[in-house]
Amino acid sequence: MIIIKDLHKSFGDKEILKGINLHVKKSEVVVVIGPSGSGKSTMLRCVNYLEVPSSGSITIDGQTITREVNINTIRAEVGMVFQHFNLFPHMTVLENIMLAPIKVRKLSEAEARKIALQLLERVGLADKAQARPAQLSGGQQQRVAIARALAMRPKIMLFDEPTSALDPEMVNEVLDAMKTLAESGMTMMVVTHEMGFARQVANRVLFMDGGRIIEEGTPEQVFAHAKEPRTQEFLSKIL
Amino acid sequence: MTFDFSLITDHLPLLLVGALVTIEITAVSVAIGTMIGLFVGIAELSGYRCLRLPAKIYVDFIRGTPLLVQIFIIYFALPIVLGTRIEPFVAAVAACSINSGAYVAEIFRAGIQSIDKGQMEAGRSLGMSWGQTMFNIVIPQAFRRTIPQLGNEFIAMLKDSSLVSVIGFEELTRKGQLIIASTYGSLEIWSAVAIIYLVMTLSITRFVAYLEKRFH
Repeated sequence: MIIIKDLHKSFGDKEILKGINLHVKKSEVVVVIGPSGSGKSTMLRCVNYLEVPSSGSITIDGQTITREVNINTIRAEVGMVFQHFNLFPHMTVLENIMLAPIKVRKLSEAEARKIALQLLERVGLADKAQARPAQLSGGQQQRVAIARALAMRPKIMLFDEPTSALDPEMVNEVLDAMKTLAESGMTMMVVTHEMGFARQVANRVLFMDGGRIIEEGTPEQVFAHAKEPRTQEFLSKIL
Repeated sequence: MTFDFSLITDHLPLLLVGALVTIEITAVSVAIGTMIGLFVGIAELSGYRCLRLPAKIYVDFIRGTPLLVQIFIIYFALPIVLGTRIEPFVAAVAACSINSGAYVAEIFRAGIQSIDKGQMEAGRSLGMSWGQTMFNIVIPQAFRRTIPQLGNEFIAMLKDSSLVSVIGFEELTRKGQLIIASTYGSLEIWSAVAIIYLVMTLSITRFVAYLEKRFH
């Protein structure tokens, strides 16, 4: 589903990603962990070209992203959830979700509304359809952001530290929504510090440091039997 | 010194006609200027140098030269190039619109830049194009945020429109001059003109404050 080949990314003369190779299969849930500055978010943002790689290639569902391929058609298949939600504050919750299906998928307003209401139901916020994002709690906003991304019917979902900006008591409602999504067979890449989530939901855990994937394996392999000293050190600090 | 109030009351209808013309030229100029400013402001932020450079030259030229000179160029110099006379109203609106466009462009550019870049990223991540995201998400938010500055621009234009009196366009200031030429009532008429301008600018200030409140 996602094939990353020899991905490099530099900002100025600072190299953030130093050759990433990764193959994510359909319905796989890959959780990326690592210290801040290790390049995990940058890698995720390269997958849908919010950051343009310095070199290397990204292939999504058989389509390699190049200058010739319309990036918007690929992005429509790849949903993204951000740390700071990035909801559109001048629109209602419903309008937030309906906008892209109407503009990109060319759905009618009635179809888009139907999908939006179904998704709001699914994330447990059907009663907030007419609210403004600012009237919602952080956890509710993030669930709306998940619904907004799902409204495009993406094949892949990317999560960039989706719970890092939340108050502790709101973390679980977002993780639960993500868990349900994973169980429904969505292909997911998740950058997170939530080790409990990684353990329970991930098929594979990647540990990144210094712009490279240092270690990968099942949650059991990485959390209980890490081979690399750098991974052991990181885990000992956070577990 | 005597202050002859009858001079003002006698000529008030004429002055009010001038005030209407002032409002008209300001409204038309700011409306056109806002459209110019929107496109130029976006061009200034474009990734394409061929759009950015002309936009920058336009803004720098207009903001770096006096409006009075711009009016002279359009009314007196341009006809020599074109070989045809330009009506005072057309010249006045053209000069004020082009002038206002440059200032509005800077207002919009700053407004757009003040919107969190996560908004553009969210729009793009959903598969919307740069233009779709700009027009549906960024600009509506930037527009709300720039209402006070746009109000200021409207007020500035209203006052600066007095400059088109030099090409004989009969707005409020020119009307005042003409009345004084026949009555010698400088004190009374200029006082009245000033107060009419003040009433207009204060009204706009109140209206903008109301809009600002409604949008927040």
